[in-house]
Amino acid sequence: MFQGLQLFAEAIGGLLTFRTVFDVLWATQLGIIVGMLPGLTATMGIALMTTLTFKMAANNAILILICMYIGAIYGGSRSAILLNIPGTPANAATCMDGYPLAQQGKAGQAIGIATTGSFLGSVIGMFAMALFTPLLGTFALKFRSFEFFWFSVFGVVICGNLTAPKDPLKGWIAGFLGLFVAMIGMEGIHAYSRFSFGSTDLSGGIALLPAMVGAFGFAEIITVMRNPRMQVVQTKIDHVVPRLKDILPYWKTIIRSGIVGTIIGVLPGVGEDIASWVSYDMAKRSSKHPEEFGKGSVDGLIAAETGNNACVPGAIIPVLTLAIPGSAPAAVLLGAMLIHGIRPGPLIMIEFPKFIYETTAMVLFATIAMFVLGLSLVRTLVKVLLVPRQKLMPIVFVLCVVGAYAITGRMFDVGVMVVFGVIGFVLREMEYPMAPLVLGIILGDILDKNLRRSLILTDGRIGPLFTRPISFFIFALTVLIILSKVKFAQDAANAAKRAAAGLFRRKGAGDGV
Amino acid sequence: MKEQNMRRADFVMSSFLIAFGVAVLILSLAMPRFQHLKINPYSVPGIVPGFLGAVIAFLGVVLFIRSVRQGGFRLALNSRALRDFLLTEETRRISLTIVLGVAYALGLLGRVHFMIATGIFVFAFVMVFEYKRKEGFRAQWKTVLWGAILACVTSVSVYSVFAYLFLVNLP
Repeated sequence: MFQGLQLFAEAIGGLLTFRTVFDVLWATQLGIIVGMLPGLTATMGIALMTTLTFKMAANNAILILICMYIGAIYGGSRSAILLNIPGTPANAATCMDGYPLAQQGKAGQAIGIATTGSFLGSVIGMFAMALFTPLLGTFALKFRSFEFFWFSVFGVVICGNLTAPKDPLKGWIAGFLGLFVAMIGMEGIHAYSRFSFGSTDLSGGIALLPAMVGAFGFAEIITVMRNPRMQVVQTKIDHVVPRLKDILPYWKTIIRSGIVGTIIGVLPGVGEDIASWVSYDMAKRSSKHPEEFGKGSVDGLIAAETGNNACVPGAIIPVLTLAIPGSAPAAVLLGAMLIHGIRPGPLIMIEFPKFIYETTAMVLFATIAMFVLGLSLVRTLVKVLLVPRQKLMPIVFVLCVVGAYAITGRMFDVGVMVVFGVIGFVLREMEYPMAPLVLGIILGDILDKNLRRSLILTDGRIGPLFTRPISFFIFALTVLIILSKVKFAQDAANAAKRAAAGLFRRKGAGDGV
Repeated sequence: MKEQNMRRADFVMSSFLIAFGVAVLILSLAMPRFQHLKINPYSVPGIVPGFLGAVIAFLGVVLFIRSVRQGGFRLALNSRALRDFLLTEETRRISLTIVLGVAYALGLLGRVHFMIATGIFVFAFVMVFEYKRKEGFRAQWKTVLWGAILACVTSVSVYSVFAYLFLVNLP
């Protein structure tokens, strides 16, 4: 514990240089702007920044990416409040109460509350990160091939479940399609080229970054361009800095949303958008005035913004300890860490023990910068929202192309970006979520290697996949998640419940006589 | 998407998924097993893709049954429905965005210098979505001028920032 604190203090000390503070400020500000602009998501911003920073030293680059991440997830609230369009998907729930507040002439107050909520959410997430990452890291050392195999399946299933709550079947399909995409190219055990049909480019595999830039960048551009115009709400932005009495009554919502956001962040692939909706929903259920939700409720706004920002540090926890991302932007962050030679995963506690504390310190710096920058320059930044989309989107597309190309210098990757953009758009239209698809691309390799390793270890017996305690636990959890969404299982559970209730009633009735 | 259209889309997608899953399964079974190398038979390359192909086909069957039950097989494809779909403003904007993007990324880049390709793309994009043919050039010369300025500034600045400041490869 004390050693952890000491390492954390050392990490903060190490980051306190002029260069670092300068990097933190510009990267967070840029993140806020990226988040504000509909069509530029956090995922896209981090992917572009990865391209720009990949010649920098590892720690500087990761710091800039974390600042971009936290800035963008927060920045999206600005357009949600002023335009009723979420700047990133994470801010969709913010629109519900942020925009009505702006219409009531309280835009400044709404921005101030959203900023404070985001700040406190990040702080709660950061504490959870500092406390639980080392614990989870130590626990993850117990994971062998069997556990990693089930964890990959669990990741795709839970992610599909939560990102497509209306129709989890589509979430699972997206996840398994993602796992298949990872099968393309040379496999890691016998170096056999799968599904490449003689193409050298395909045998190199589908890289994560171009696929993500397509699915989250180009697909987003198409979505933004489909609608002709957007309107900024005409309102005066008055005092932005919130008063303590505006925030204090909502302490319960803040703590609840912070914890919920962090937990959702830890779940593989389930990102900020879900965190924000779940926090919002829980706040509505436990509020004394649920009727105000959707009409400008401060409680709702604070829940949504606290939830999505708490999810950010939460999503970094599994990146560090299991090399499995907690959200789509965290997936890019994971890719960037690998590019920079940091190998996250269970061995991180042994190979790079200081890195966990350095990352936590980076989150702290980014959070403080987000709070300070979020409360300043508000009126100036509103002008960014006025840039017409037909002028902005071609520039974003040029950046998508450069982002896809720059890391490996292959035109093939530009093709991958375009194809994933179009497919991503079509799939999104049919309500297939993108997060499980992307998670599948990352987990595919882990699933492939670990299933085959397990089978080699046991000489083809599948028993140990189910009998090892952790392995069985993850397997059982996966099955329960699937069954909870399957109709006949739900019917059976309800029938069992009714039968049990009937049994007790009869017994009770008999006692009475 | 409307409920009825979604059922139809599900029907088409599920048929595709079944065919795709089965194809993946067949290709996986046909993958080499390296018996002559005496490798462990449980490490053959086709094992995991085969499993995934089977799962995708199974999920496709579930979606197929659901969409058929909901009447999604009545595709109602006729020329009028198709024309109505193709002529909406939304479809036009979506297709224009995709066509412009594809033409730039897969057509121009690599054949023309990055700065020229980017300039043409940005200018074309702004013009396609901003220039109104009915109003004539005189009324909109400012739009054209701003489009041209934006195209030049974007191509020069992106090129210089990436090529000289961040030392990144450009297509």
